[in-house]
Amino acid sequence: MSDFVDPVTGADALGDPTAPELGSITTGDAPAGDATTGGDRDEGAVSKTGTTTVGIATAEGVVVATDMRASLGGRFVSNKSVQKVEQVHPTAVLTLVGSVGGAQSFIRTLRAEADLYEVRRDEPMSVHALATLAGNFARGGPWFAINPVLGGVDGEGSHVYSIDPAGGVMKDDYTVTGSGMQLAYGTIEGQYDREMSLDDARDLAVRAVEAASARDTGSGNGVYVATVTDDGVDIEGFDETADALTAR
Amino acid sequence: MQDNQQAYDRGMTIFSPDGRLYQVEYAREAIKRGTASVGVRTDAGVVLAADRRARSPLIEESSIEKLHRVDDHVAVASAGHVADARQLVDFARQQAQGNRLRYDEPIDVETLAKEVTDYIQRYTQSGGVRPFGVALAIAGVDPDGTPQLFETDPSGTPYEWQATAIGGDRDELHGILEDGYRTDLDLDGGIALALRTLAESGDELDAESVEVTTVDVESGRVRSLDPEAIEPHLAELNTEGDDE
Repeated sequence: MSDFVDPVTGADALGDPTAPELGSITTGDAPAGDATTGGDRDEGAVSKTGTTTVGIATAEGVVVATDMRASLGGRFVSNKSVQKVEQVHPTAVLTLVGSVGGAQSFIRTLRAEADLYEVRRDEPMSVHALATLAGNFARGGPWFAINPVLGGVDGEGSHVYSIDPAGGVMKDDYTVTGSGMQLAYGTIEGQYDREMSLDDARDLAVRAVEAASARDTGSGNGVYVATVTDDGVDIEGFDETADALTAR
Repeated sequence: MQDNQQAYDRGMTIFSPDGRLYQVEYAREAIKRGTASVGVRTDAGVVLAADRRARSPLIEESSIEKLHRVDDHVAVASAGHVADARQLVDFARQQAQGNRLRYDEPIDVETLAKEVTDYIQRYTQSGGVRPFGVALAIAGVDPDGTPQLFETDPSGTPYEWQATAIGGDRDELHGILEDGYRTDLDLDGGIALALRTLAESGDELDAESVEVTTVDVESGRVRSLDPEAIEPHLAELNTEGDDE
């Protein structure tokens, strides 16, 4: 509690800068332990997506590609057409990785925060601000067991971040999260070039998801591709990953 | 009429039948009792100037603070109740740091001004409290390099200015600013105008008792001028006076 009390509500007038401004948070047990031990937060009951999500930044813009499989522990395919990349900002997207409920709630919250920021300040949030906010929420909020990729474009250029479950925010030229990450990284490694065209980056991202889908039991069933440029976000889904390579 | 007014004159802020909030208006009167501070915005940066002349030669002038640094890129001038000003300045400082915690970015000056005025406004619509008897001039440079100057009012309304004065003799000082302001002023020109305006509100200024703070676009940082830096501006001001 700060020294500044709202005289009407009696609440802290400064609020908690690391908490969301909108929406009420389900109170569960406080997060205990790290993401691997999970604590008591209904870890056993949640559906986890397995997943491979890839983000690549180029001079022209950002490409984010995700597989379409939801699985129970990587052993049973519970859904074959999941869109795991969603727009959260006029020029940024976030992937769903980890607990489905956590990731969906995380996306809704970030979207609301980004909208609120933009209408209040008359300019969109920078991608770095969005990544910082996402890291704060992942660390202090109720969204346990998520590990998304954030990709976006702003006045400073193209950016890709990974957000880890403990709130770590790491910027990179390209990044992969999810159970298929090693396969996808193997595909991208050595092929990436900051000056590559957006189309080439798109093909590289799709091939990375394709490789993970072939060998990781938690990933597969097609690919969603999000393309982010100054002009906005475009998201397409393909049941066959090969279609994503040719369709442009 | 006298009785009628008094019923809306005490306790919490409520409307009078003719739609006025007397407590807010009295808060503005409290500000007029304070000595003036001046803010001037130029393309090269923003200038705040205040006279902290002491009532007694025994008081340490350095303890009279009218200009306050809020963050690296924002400073505030206050007029009115000093204790109220301190509360708002600390609120602004915490908001500025909160923005860095939340977004890892310095806060926009307009956003900060509106956070402060929203907080002020709450004190016009609650029971058992009184409005803030202070006006602030909030000066800064946005992260994108835009110089900004805002004013807060006890009603909780934010105003944006090219140049403004808060505190006593405000109307008179505004007249001087209106005559002297040009859109092509450089930072030194802004300092000169601010000091010339401030000089109208009292006796002759001396470099020891006048405070000048700038936030220039080039560095984007708050800088307090020391007396040696203020002296040449005052000397110039006095020469101008002799010419007339």
